[in-house]
Amino acid sequence: MTTSEEHEPEFDALVRPYVITNGRGFSDSDRFDLVTLVTAAPDQQRKAHLGPEKRELVELCEGGYLSVAEIAGHMKLPIGIIKVLLTDLAEDGYILTRAPIPPAQLADIQVLQEVLDGLQARFG
Amino acid sequence: MTQYIQDPALWGLIVGTPLAATVIYQGRKTTARLRKQKDELESRHTELQNNFTDAVDDARLRAEEATKSALKSAMRTLQGLANEQQLAISKVQDKYGDQHILEDLLEIDHMNSQFGRRAQSVAVLCDGWLGRQRAVASVYDVARSAKGRIRHYTRVEVRSQSNFAIISRAVEPVALVLAELLDNATSYSAPETTVEINIRSVPKGVCVIVDDAGVGMNEEEKTRAARLLSGEHPVGVTELGNPPQFGFAVIGVLAARYGFSVSVDSSSPYGGVRAVVLLPQELLTSMPEQENSPASEEPAAEAPREQPATTAGGLPKRRRRGQMAIVPQARTERGTVAARSSEETASIMGAFQRGTQSGRSADSSRTEPSREGHEVQ
Repeated sequence: MTTSEEHEPEFDALVRPYVITNGRGFSDSDRFDLVTLVTAAPDQQRKAHLGPEKRELVELCEGGYLSVAEIAGHMKLPIGIIKVLLTDLAEDGYILTRAPIPPAQLADIQVLQEVLDGLQARFG
Repeated sequence: MTQYIQDPALWGLIVGTPLAATVIYQGRKTTARLRKQKDELESRHTELQNNFTDAVDDARLRAEEATKSALKSAMRTLQGLANEQQLAISKVQDKYGDQHILEDLLEIDHMNSQFGRRAQSVAVLCDGWLGRQRAVASVYDVARSAKGRIRHYTRVEVRSQSNFAIISRAVEPVALVLAELLDNATSYSAPETTVEINIRSVPKGVCVIVDDAGVGMNEEEKTRAARLLSGEHPVGVTELGNPPQFGFAVIGVLAARYGFSVSVDSSSPYGGVRAVVLLPQELLTSMPEQENSPASEEPAAEAPREQPATTAGGLPKRRRRGQMAIVPQARTERGTVAARSSEETASIMGAFQRGTQSGRSADSSRTEPSREGHEVQ
């Protein structure tokens, strides 16, 4: 299992994930999913009081909107842990969220069929 | 006069005196000889006794050494397994991080950390090594790492953050020492009380203070603790008692080996024990770039350049964190961002990038990476 991995870390993280959230493993709130976009709230005076991970997360989001999955990738933490942190941060007003960008509407297959039929009737 | 000469008493006196003198002289001589013999015997007895003690000590030492070397190699295997398991657990956590199983994984992770710590403690007492290479870490992170290695870690509160970091060589020993102190603190205090860690900078270095609200220690316990913590009288594996009490012995060995000091002789404001770890300047450094950011910005910018700077889809790789935002905001010059960006992160994110980018129009391959996402709107 370990040999096939390309990104084998040299050593494991010093601070284990369960310590970062102080034992909270999974946030039941469905406010965040993988593609929820997150950005830092505009005014950030109290940031110094945050723990290192939360501060890093807020700073990460200061550049603009990032998805939860991207944040987890950058922070090298499990997504569940990131969600716990995000829930805390959102409650305290450090971050803002935005619903994921909706996928483009697919054109109605029936309309396309009618156009095709029309074109064929005209030119075919 | 003549009647005296005829007096047998006189003759008796004349004959008796030298006789008595001879007898007394002889007696003295015998006594002296006996005394000499006694001294000789005594010295030989002491000599024998010393030899015997030496032999016993020697045998004990040899037995101790044998025990130590056997335990040391056994512990090395266990330490290796614990580390391997931790890496495996980390991987599974990343893989299933979005599911409810994560909670169980975190619990397993916690148990494994405790297991690893126990193995390390025994290894230390057997003159073994801690067996983990660590990067420079902030005192705060080391304290939190220690917190993660004990059973009741949720009762521990790390109060203050500091700008000091511990040199890589000392990270693991300090974490282990703090973990042993926290283990004691949580074991000897009521389950509903918290154990507090404060980090203070002092002229000689940095103090890490562990306060519990337990019952404290009596004078006898304090004396024993001070003796063990000094590290001057190394404790053998065979002297730990039953059930074995590792804590102070392990701390003493590590403190002596790495050159810091630990004391438990003061009492905490909450009535329990106050343990103070004094880290001297030699073990301290400043964080490489910015506090709590293991990777600096520069490698982050260079990492993609070393590889072909495009993804598999032929798109440019994101270079800077500022540009990684899907929807960039007005301020772009902010340079203090501290991602854990590295080659690894870049590669990990590659998959995600390919996913998001393949969903966009073909034209986007010619746009700047910082502008991607605009056309989605």
